[in-house]
Amino acid sequence: MRKKLLTMMAATMVAGFATSASIAQDMDLTKKETYDQIMTWANEPLDTSKYKKDGDLTIGVSAGYLSNAWINFTGQAIKYEASLHPEIKEVKITDAAFNPTKQAADIEDLLTSGVDAILFWPVDEKAILPVLKKAHDQGVVTINIGYNYMHDDAVTSNAYVNQWTYAEQVATNFAKSLDGKGKVVAMLPIAGSSAAVVQLAVLQEVLKGYPEMELISSEYGDWDRAKAKQLTENLLQRFPQIDGAFSPAGQMSMGIYEAFDEAGRLDELTLSPGDDYNGWTKLVAKEGKWGSVTSGLEVGREAVKQAVKILTGQPTTTAVVVPTRYLEPAEAAKLHEADRPDDWFKTDLPAEFLPQ
Amino acid sequence: MRPFAAGAPAYQRLPRIYWALIALVLAGTIAAPQFRTASNIANILEQSGTLAVLAIGQAFVIAGGMIDLSVGQLVGLITVLSCMLFEAYPSMTLPVVAGCLGLAALVGLLNGELINRLRMSPLILTFGMLSVLQGCIFMLTDRSIGQAAPSVAFLSNGRLAGIPVSLFLVAAVAIVAYYALQRSVFGWHLLAMGNSADSSRKAGLNLAALTRIAFLVSGLCAGVAGLLVAGRLGTGFPNAGNGLELDAIVAVVLGGTPLKGGRVSVVGILGAVLFLGVLNNLLNLLQVPAFTQIVVKGAIVILAILADRPGRLAQAA
Amino acid sequence: MSAAPSSHQAALRLPSLDRAAVWIVLVVLLLLAGLASDAFFKLNYLTNLVRQAAPIGIAAVGVTFVMLLRGVDLSVGAVVSMSAVVCAIVMDGKPGNLWLGIAAAAACGAAIGAANGLLIAFGKVSAFILTLGMSIVVYGLVQMGTGGTARGIVSPGFREVLNGRIGGVLPVLVICLLVAVAIGIFLQSRTRFGRSVYLIGANPEAARLAGLPVNRITVIAYAVSGFFAGLGGLALLARTGVSGTNPGAGMEFDVLAAVVLGGTTFAGGRGGVGGTFAGVLVLFIALNLANVAGLPFAAQLTIKGLIIIAASAAHSWIGRRASGRTQQ
Repeated sequence: MRKKLLTMMAATMVAGFATSASIAQDMDLTKKETYDQIMTWANEPLDTSKYKKDGDLTIGVSAGYLSNAWINFTGQAIKYEASLHPEIKEVKITDAAFNPTKQAADIEDLLTSGVDAILFWPVDEKAILPVLKKAHDQGVVTINIGYNYMHDDAVTSNAYVNQWTYAEQVATNFAKSLDGKGKVVAMLPIAGSSAAVVQLAVLQEVLKGYPEMELISSEYGDWDRAKAKQLTENLLQRFPQIDGAFSPAGQMSMGIYEAFDEAGRLDELTLSPGDDYNGWTKLVAKEGKWGSVTSGLEVGREAVKQAVKILTGQPTTTAVVVPTRYLEPAEAAKLHEADRPDDWFKTDLPAEFLPQ
Repeated sequence: MRPFAAGAPAYQRLPRIYWALIALVLAGTIAAPQFRTASNIANILEQSGTLAVLAIGQAFVIAGGMIDLSVGQLVGLITVLSCMLFEAYPSMTLPVVAGCLGLAALVGLLNGELINRLRMSPLILTFGMLSVLQGCIFMLTDRSIGQAAPSVAFLSNGRLAGIPVSLFLVAAVAIVAYYALQRSVFGWHLLAMGNSADSSRKAGLNLAALTRIAFLVSGLCAGVAGLLVAGRLGTGFPNAGNGLELDAIVAVVLGGTPLKGGRVSVVGILGAVLFLGVLNNLLNLLQVPAFTQIVVKGAIVILAILADRPGRLAQAA
Repeated sequence: MSAAPSSHQAALRLPSLDRAAVWIVLVVLLLLAGLASDAFFKLNYLTNLVRQAAPIGIAAVGVTFVMLLRGVDLSVGAVVSMSAVVCAIVMDGKPGNLWLGIAAAAACGAAIGAANGLLIAFGKVSAFILTLGMSIVVYGLVQMGTGGTARGIVSPGFREVLNGRIGGVLPVLVICLLVAVAIGIFLQSRTRFGRSVYLIGANPEAARLAGLPVNRITVIAYAVSGFFAGLGGLALLARTGVSGTNPGAGMEFDVLAAVVLGGTTFAGGRGGVGGTFAGVLVLFIALNLANVAGLPFAAQLTIKGLIIIAASAAHSWIGRRASGRTQQ
């Protein structure tokens, strides 16, 4: 009996390991063509007539997580934008704290309490689909917010920031700032996340055009300043010469900067443009170099506007795309707010809507 | 056969948690108008299925005076593995289910064996195993992977005449567990072990075998729960099991089963699971802020074990 | 030469073997690591390693006391986070608030620890579950208090000083860690509190019958654990700055692995801060080795789990053999 169970267990695990290699991605995130396709979808007109509702609107927000500053500001932006529309009577917010099972329950509870639209950022795009189908079947508008485009019948619309373009802006300006020469490392977000996959793919693509640049290591800093610092310290030990660090996330760039500074090798370093994270922009203001690419914070407000348009039957496109811009160091420095914490973003939210 | 003596958990009255549940339901009906709709109740039952199965499995271990902290990650492992295999072999749903359940039971058995042979406290062993299993999950994948078989998805999400299908599964598990724990010689021996391991050993009970079986059941239930989660999410999410072991333990303790073992009440556990499900539902419906919900969850854990005092529960019976 | 004297000698040797075990493992591991990469033999790399370990090491000093008492403190990760956040907020970027911020962090930690201790001692509940529940409550309170974004700005000089190196070689944070270890060793061997902890951990019933104030010692031990966790939070803040509301997430696994490695197991009564220090070093070298060897991050989780299991089993095996012999 035990032998049979043992072989079954072994077989199951072997099958598991064997299949893990062969499962294909639905959309190949490493190819530019995917993103061109997304932009085509985004620009198609959306038939909003079937969603039109009269009377007051209730907006539900299903946050996959609320535990980082960018997401927090997005959530606040949604509340602010909603307050500007008199037809929106109420905004209901739930937080799944990185738990997809809870997100499913959250959305079911939002549906029970009666909402006309659900704005969300998923803990996991695939895991959220079953419950989104339920929402869609009930005629509720569903809008995905963020860097991952969801192309599915259950998702009515997307408020989207194009990751490829974003990473491209960072990488090309990075290569230029190095005059196309040097050994570089890459500091990427959580391994396996779409952001990490795209950023690496874009960097490698851009580096093809600069044969005198070499990517000597990619590290996964999980968007964590401390981890980025620790990984960089290890890199500094392994490599006697590092000319540049590709790090689109300003929070991680700060960790890299500190590691180089403490190792006394700051002169070697050229950092790529970061984003609009306040800690990063303060650094840019202090150093006078290394710019930023805006991170598309307005996406929360755009999502609310899109929801209103759909629910009032106005014409709109299938997705609303928020563009990102490269900012020269001088411009990027203007974004910093010295009397605000590092974990902050400069926005035009009025005081009562800032995170408390 | 009706067992007697100190291990017999024949409660004359409803376990205390049911009073709390009734109070909560009444409060909910008044405070949130959509609470008592049939669809909401069905939602709550559906959302509670995983925890019910997991808590029942944990009850076997706790009844014997032990604990199993690895079940959360075991759920995650089964969720990921089953979805990977379902997608790769779509026509072999039943063998995949059987294989995954077998694996889960085996991991449970492994836990039991290591505890027996290394003579380690179950707390530490399963705590270490938690990490080991989590590592295994991430060696398989770091993002969601695979696709749940339609039959499994139906098991977790489907309705028959408005009643969640998973409810039938939970009921079946609960009935079997009730008879095994509270109406059989095995259950009697297990509770005796929980009451006093020394006396049981001297009385000639085979503690090693009881340990093995208890952990095997716990692992098997984690496997079932893993499949339910796979159906619910439709895909294998690696972190799906995080923290579930704590939820299961809280449900067991809230239901009136003391953490040190010796007594058990399956009915109480079901009541506790319902209580937690209703609570989470109301917190959302009443728009309690997200961060406050976290504090409430931690407070419930603390309150649950503060209330787990031998004297007070004996008075309830 | 009869058999009795040599087995007596063996009984005396075994506890020392137990204490020495982790240091032996440390030396062996360091040699192995050096074979894998000669970076491990460079002073700069090693001191940097110890500096990375400082937050966990400092917190582990406190947890040692709790585990000697047969308890456990799983709230250290959340307390570390809370103390880092509180310190930064109190400091508010002003140089005058430096010591106020440090005091606030330590006080928060001690307060949470005391709360743990009171509930465990007087509620007579499972320390494991209680401190897990407390960690959730603490995390939730931090989120509520900050609205989810890390507030506060560190006082000028705080990070520069703590991250500096004396003489260009010895990092200040390493000195902090050594000071914490020294305080811990002093507490455990030269104070009545420390001696009581060992006695209670070895045999709680006998200790109670002998009149030791078990409840009071328990509360103090948990408060000590919270206090050191608060200091660990300061070390973390110094290393990473203000970068999120949960920098200490998951630390309890590392702390527990280090303490158990060092010889202080859940059985209580044996071990100590010295062993914990060695355990921290072993853990960090092992994890660094895994990183250098290119093992995926997932493997580190499995390693931590295996370390907890294996070290516990090994130490309790040695412990059983030791007590078995002395009972001849």
